[in-house]
Amino acid sequence: MDLTYSPEDLAFRERTRRWFEGNMPRQELKTLAERKAWHRTLYDAGFVGMGWPRQYGGRDATPMQQAIAADEMARVNAPPPTNGLGIGIVGPTIFVHGTEAQKQRYLRKILTAEELWCQLYSEPNAGSDLASLKTRADDRGDHFEVTGQKIWTSGGLNADWGLLLARTDAAVPKHKGISCFLISMRQPGVEVRPLKQITGSAEFAEVFVTQARGEKSDLVGRLGQGWEIAQTTLSYERGANSLARVTRYASAFSQLVNASKVLRRGGRPLLEDPVVRAKLGRIYAELEVQRYAALRVLSALTKGEGPGTASSITKLSYSEFEKRFNELALEILGPYGQTMAGLPEDLNFPVVASSGHGETWAYAFLWSRAGTIYSGSSEIQKNVIGERVLGLPKEPRADRTRA
Amino acid sequence: MDFTFDQDQQLLRNAARAFLDEHCTPTAVRALWDDSRGESEAMWKDMTQLGWLGLSLPEVFGGSGLGMVETAIVLEEMGRAAYSGSYFPTVLVATSLALGGSAEQQKRWLPAIATGSARGTVALLDAEWNWDPDAVTTRATKTAKGWTLTGAKRFVPWAHVADVVLVPARAPEGLTLFVVDSAAAGLTLTPVTGIDPGTRWSALALHGTPVAADAVLGTPGQARPILEMLLRRGAVGASAEMLGAARRALDMSVAYAKVREQFGQPIGSFQAIRHKCAEMLLEVENAHAATYYAAWALDAGAEDAPLAASVAKAYVGEAARKVCGEAIQVHGGIGFTWEYDLHLYFKRAKALEPMYGDADYHRELIVRHVTD
Repeated sequence: MDLTYSPEDLAFRERTRRWFEGNMPRQELKTLAERKAWHRTLYDAGFVGMGWPRQYGGRDATPMQQAIAADEMARVNAPPPTNGLGIGIVGPTIFVHGTEAQKQRYLRKILTAEELWCQLYSEPNAGSDLASLKTRADDRGDHFEVTGQKIWTSGGLNADWGLLLARTDAAVPKHKGISCFLISMRQPGVEVRPLKQITGSAEFAEVFVTQARGEKSDLVGRLGQGWEIAQTTLSYERGANSLARVTRYASAFSQLVNASKVLRRGGRPLLEDPVVRAKLGRIYAELEVQRYAALRVLSALTKGEGPGTASSITKLSYSEFEKRFNELALEILGPYGQTMAGLPEDLNFPVVASSGHGETWAYAFLWSRAGTIYSGSSEIQKNVIGERVLGLPKEPRADRTRA
Repeated sequence: MDFTFDQDQQLLRNAARAFLDEHCTPTAVRALWDDSRGESEAMWKDMTQLGWLGLSLPEVFGGSGLGMVETAIVLEEMGRAAYSGSYFPTVLVATSLALGGSAEQQKRWLPAIATGSARGTVALLDAEWNWDPDAVTTRATKTAKGWTLTGAKRFVPWAHVADVVLVPARAPEGLTLFVVDSAAAGLTLTPVTGIDPGTRWSALALHGTPVAADAVLGTPGQARPILEMLLRRGAVGASAEMLGAARRALDMSVAYAKVREQFGQPIGSFQAIRHKCAEMLLEVENAHAATYYAAWALDAGAEDAPLAASVAKAYVGEAARKVCGEAIQVHGGIGFTWEYDLHLYFKRAKALEPMYGDADYHRELIVRHVTD
């Protein structure tokens, strides 16, 4: 065991820190053009697609360097790259499963954010049971014709392209009849509507697809291989956000402590109230454990072990922690934690949510409900852990064999 | 960044597991529960030969010069076996003497401990239910020949087999730590029976117990740092043992859920059980990260070592209690029987939860670390 950072990693952190100190945008990025320009600046500096292989325009960076770069960005709350899903999911899907022509056509423009991507997976009636999706892609000879409805599409409003899962064979068991496509979002037959969430904002969209066109050359992998492809790329999370996440938690925690110094009860700051202290101590212990667990994940990745099924444990752990953390913060802050506007400056306690957005505890609290649902709900993660890590028997299910 | 055990640590863990699997079976543990001493001389000899008593002692005293990580590895395996005996309190005494004792004290006790002929314990809790070293009320009074100690210590682990007891007391100079021979005059023990028969406690009374002038560990009035160090190591060691108990309880639950059938299916196929087991694994893995991070931080002298020790104890105590409790729930009725072995681990985890600083104490320390 040696939990120190290597001299190379320390030097990399130092360089990265200096770069962000010198290059952070001076003003809030308001337009898409400004955000794309920032993305391009990040790309040119080597902070986008760091983990991609060099041959596809990446940097072959180690998992630790990726984690450090993301951590430094979180430290100064730098705006994220614009094409997160393209970089994290679509690109790896293409360079692992795509044809040479697809790699040539799409990868570079993903890296530079010249083309923005979204993921067309979930449907109104296919959430946790994603494999039951109904969107059809029918072979029309020279192309596929796609019809269906997608939901929970992050970045759908700005996307130029979508990574689509659609049913190409309804006569085989549901996992085997799904194919994976790259499909243009800029065509008649693709309609994108913002989906307003409980936060009041719309990070997600609904996508209505009516007789849209999918090119034959844009099929990824083989017909019927879509489910398998989705499985491998869903687990592409390489621990890159592991340190950044904890840095955001720690920064939120110190904001909570600051608020507890200002608010008063019984003639003294809340921070001197033993009940409040007990709550703070409990949640900070959990926060630190998240940090130790992140280091453990990075250690495994550094040794070349894939996160594999352990990523289910990590995801379950941090998303549930985020809910507890924000619940506890609002317990301590009471209505001051729910306020979105209208309080005088000295009683307006800021915080940055784990998403990197938002400025209020109210937003952070509401947003924390998302993490245990997206990318496989906590219940799905527990199924995966139970079956694939602990080796417990599968549930008897009729739909594994039925068409 | 390497969070895995190196080859030597892996070998130590394998050896510890193999030894305890053979010599510290549930049957053997139950026999010790009924034994008045509660620990096995033969096992102590074997453990001495394996080098466990001197694991973290400098080589000059017959030790191996290893650290808290190695100690935690052995303790985790002991928790997994519900080992009954005075190993850990003895190690704590040895570490304290090695770090802060005089040459005389070290010569008197360390080789004896490393070779298995002496055992020790620490009397950290006083009349108040309070782990803060400053809560000590036992008095040390100066005499012509040295000191006399008067007070009542509570929940002293394995005092009935100890040859040497570390006793914090309030001297005119302030908080002072004394190295007391358990045979000293005016020192009496009353056994206290807890829920875990593999964790023995005593009330230790000192009625003007005379100790020599050179029985002070360190400097009179300066005991707080060494007591804080003792509490930290105690906290991390207890975390390791609770982690081992929890992992055993999880393993038993998963194995049981695969074979126990109800409604014509293994109960592990039901989400109600499968999800519980997944939550237990999550707690065990987090407890592992917390325990070994803290152990490493102590060995490395990391700046956040005090924080990490408190984090480990506050987190693992609750995690282990939850995991061992849910293990009973997964098993249903059989898990509630005396005959089934699950309660060995459930009780061990519970018995250690309040020791070396309970969660409330450590959470307060955590808040001080992060807000001062």
